[in-house]
Amino acid sequence: MDTERCTIPQLGLVFFPAFDWAISPDHPEREERLLYTRDQLVEEGLLDLPGVMEFRPKVATENDLKRTHICIPSIPAVLTKAHLIAAGGCITAAKAVMEQKVKKAFALLRPPGHHAMRLVHGARGFCTINNEAILIEYIRKHYGSHLKIAVVDTDAHHADGSQDIFYNDPGVLHISLHQDGRTLYPGTGNLDELGGPGAYGLTLNIPLPPGSGDRELLFVTKNLVLPVLEEFQPDLVINGAGQDNHYSDPLTHMQVTAQGYAELNKLLQPDLVVLEGGYAIEGALPYVNVAIILALLGMDYSRVLEPDGQRDLVPPPPGALELVKKEVAYLRGVWAKRREIDLDKIFGTAPYYRRERRIYYDTDDILEHQVDQIKRCNKCSGYRVIYSRAQKRVAREISVAVVHLPWHVCADCRAEAESAYERLHPDGGLDRVYLQDVEKEVFLEKQ
Amino acid sequence: MRYIIGIDVGGTNTNACLLVIDQGGQGHVLKMAKAPTRHEDLFTSTRQALAEISDEISSADCRDLEIHLSTTLITNAIVEGKGDPVATIITTGPGLAPEAMGFAFPVSLVGGVIDHRGRETAPLVMDEVRSALKAAVDQGARAVAVVGKFSPRNPGHELAIEDLIQQEFPGLYPPTLGHRLSGRLNFPRRVNTCYLNAKVARLQREFIDRIRDTLLWELAALSARTGQEAQKTRLRVFLLKADGGTIEMEKAVNRPVETILSGPAASVMGALALTEPSESCVVVLDIGGTTTDIAVLVGGKPLAEKDGAVVGGFKTLVPAFFSRSIGLGGDSTVSYQEGRIKIGPTRAGTAAALGGDALTPTDAIVLTEQGSFGDYQRALTVLENFSRNTGGSPRELAEEIHQAFCEQAVAAINGIFADLNSCPVYTVSEVLVPRGLKPEKIIGLGGPAAFYIPRIAHLLGVPYEVLPYYEGANAVGAAASRPTAAITLRADTALGKVTIPELDQVTDLARPALFDRRKAEQLALESARGYAEKIGAYYPEAQFEVDEEEVFNMVRGFYTVGKLFTMKAQVKPDVIKVVPK
Ligand SMILES: [Zn+2]
Ligand SMILES: [Zn+2]
Repeated sequence: MDTERCTIPQLGLVFFPAFDWAISPDHPEREERLLYTRDQLVEEGLLDLPGVMEFRPKVATENDLKRTHICIPSIPAVLTKAHLIAAGGCITAAKAVMEQKVKKAFALLRPPGHHAMRLVHGARGFCTINNEAILIEYIRKHYGSHLKIAVVDTDAHHADGSQDIFYNDPGVLHISLHQDGRTLYPGTGNLDELGGPGAYGLTLNIPLPPGSGDRELLFVTKNLVLPVLEEFQPDLVINGAGQDNHYSDPLTHMQVTAQGYAELNKLLQPDLVVLEGGYAIEGALPYVNVAIILALLGMDYSRVLEPDGQRDLVPPPPGALELVKKEVAYLRGVWAKRREIDLDKIFGTAPYYRRERRIYYDTDDILEHQVDQIKRCNKCSGYRVIYSRAQKRVAREISVAVVHLPWHVCADCRAEAESAYERLHPDGGLDRVYLQDVEKEVFLEKQ
Repeated sequence: MRYIIGIDVGGTNTNACLLVIDQGGQGHVLKMAKAPTRHEDLFTSTRQALAEISDEISSADCRDLEIHLSTTLITNAIVEGKGDPVATIITTGPGLAPEAMGFAFPVSLVGGVIDHRGRETAPLVMDEVRSALKAAVDQGARAVAVVGKFSPRNPGHELAIEDLIQQEFPGLYPPTLGHRLSGRLNFPRRVNTCYLNAKVARLQREFIDRIRDTLLWELAALSARTGQEAQKTRLRVFLLKADGGTIEMEKAVNRPVETILSGPAASVMGALALTEPSESCVVVLDIGGTTTDIAVLVGGKPLAEKDGAVVGGFKTLVPAFFSRSIGLGGDSTVSYQEGRIKIGPTRAGTAAALGGDALTPTDAIVLTEQGSFGDYQRALTVLENFSRNTGGSPRELAEEIHQAFCEQAVAAINGIFADLNSCPVYTVSEVLVPRGLKPEKIIGLGGPAAFYIPRIAHLLGVPYEVLPYYEGANAVGAAASRPTAAITLRADTALGKVTIPELDQVTDLARPALFDRRKAEQLALESARGYAEKIGAYYPEAQFEVDEEEVFNMVRGFYTVGKLFTMKAQVKPDVIKVVPK
């Protein structure tokens, strides 16, 4: 029995392929998705390696969800047990790292989460709840709310859900490297989305031209991600490891290889890796995941090559790297000046910064209209009131308001937020009103 | 009448048991025997134990005699690194570098790749196979292990290498091929398993020849005593395997590695044979001289190792009961560290009360039991001497030793359950079923069981049962075991192929679109039966079952292109119920 270990294992693995869950039988997000990956991991004997320790996923609790999300109209109405296990598995991975049972952890599980926003009316981009965000809030709740966390999302799609959740959160640096939103769902993730008034410059988006590959990805990693992390000094780095940037992925137009992904992880050395998308289930996922695991273990991954001999790999279009270099230069400029910038010029001088958005839920075909008001406060990041109207095709429109109190909310904002919640009545067009107070872990609802 | 002799060659003692099987198929113990194990000569101990019980066989009506042998031969050979030099030929493909797989022996990598669905993505490079074999032969290798990554999904490369060996290297022993030993995935374990198998094959062959001679000699002696002709008795010899099943000895020549760790399996089979099945979670404790083996029954069935047995540091794919061995037994050392008594983990030797000179838990038992066995005075002296360091009376010291013994056993049991409860599972329903396994009952066997089991059970707060014939209940278990055999069926209707690696079978499906779950199950069951017949694991009452099953729809570009079936079918594991007198 391995009860007496002198050194802690290098890598914890939480593997939950949800072999009995699918969005629909022929959907990309289906039972079979991690089958070949499982076969490859087992055949490689990776779980037997001395540096690897496997963990059983826990099931996320109601409060684990409520710290991050407002599920509308209710938790059971929008999600399944598989979601709770995927989110719980991420928490298991995070706990294993925070409690030093392992040095790093990889949550290799589905369904994915990075398109799920704070307000959840249904599923979008195959995601219902945000696994990474849930684990981050779990960490801040249980291991210290001052912990600084960095997310580097390398899925081919813009991590718009995580961005939404941490947009005004000074404790979380959110960097997303994705295929240019003008050419791919969800369409967002432009250079100028840089965070709210309470966390300006802590949201960084690098839209990569379609056809970008290892060279572009690694250039951004070396020249933007690593220097920014070096300065931010996070307590924890998370890689949102979507693998749909692989050259053989059927849904995207990127040209990343298993070797490129391994090198990214070797450079980044994340504490936690969370699987996001990736739909080349036979030709990419088995190899990319093995490569990531080996890179995290500090082992030789040079033999992890796609068996097609990279037949379908296309060189990046001319000018791709040049464009990426310009983006990196621009964002480094923003990063360097983020504290000196006059926020009033960006967010105005009104006491509340107000933004209006339309959010489309492609998976569930829901259209949401959102108005977000952030209190401009110099003592905290500012409480928020979010008004949301959503409609699923011919169903009745549902209209809600959410009062959100962030971590380290100041006394003034707390008083104002609490009275705002008192004032808001579920009448005159509002179906429900919610209060989300992460610090006190108070989650109220009235209808 | 049908008789079965069970022999368990343990670390300290060799136990034997003679069962007679009645018309209803139940076993009755006619005789138990015990001899000290001589590690330098397992045959003598085996023969000694055998001689003692064969007297009881009423040879007038002995039509069928089976001998079930559980030995430590292969386990010890592996642990001690004995056997032939092996040429291990592997093919890999994308993934972990062979150097990173941590093999404790040299491997020769040759070109050729099979992918996860069993498709050849690079052909086998025959010239590399040839030169690897030549080099190995030049270095003295006679045995060969051949293992390809994903070979259970397509054994083509392994079979081609076997052909080449037969034609071009007739001096080599028949190679061990990966796909024949296991249809499960896990390449490094499959390589270890085949390497060990190839390495000890000759030892097993020699052992089997000698055992056959020994048994024929015993049988001749039996006939001579009774005037009965030996030929009238049909003698079959089986070896016990790590999964508690038996394998016919002559067939075990090709699969020696499966006979490892039969000792812990014999204890579990003893518990199954001698108790009524229980729905609760039962801990089986076999307290021996040197070690205590701990196994777990859930719903009346033994838990199995998730991937396979681990022996001598080698992780294998050999099916095995879940069992953990701790250095705690009647002959363990007793030491005094930081004000506490500690038992084991090493063996002290024979107890003072039994003629040795070291203080052991057995001496403490002799003192507490006031000399119901052993030499009370010698036990008292050795405890008195030791109590000069610890303070207190010899009687108090004996109690402290008992307490430490039981506490260490309970700590080990609790550690095992903590591990079991963190076992990963892969589907929604499995995660949601509360798997808070906890010990609910103890079944004990082994020499010190009668004394220690009640105390351990008390400390753990659960009921207990000490097996009848507890001192040699593992031999009863060996006798009560029945054959096991399993096949793996993999059907890929998109590729139109069915593969059953254990049978060397890769066949094209005539009409893949019509191949469904029912057909797959039917084929798996038929194949399991054919395989059992082939390897000598078939018996008339044997039942066959599909034990594991996975079915996936394969969707490509929003169209269902086929189904994947993976099934394990087997002889349903069984045990002969033994009715105590
Ligand atoms: Zn994606
Ligand atoms: Zn404030």
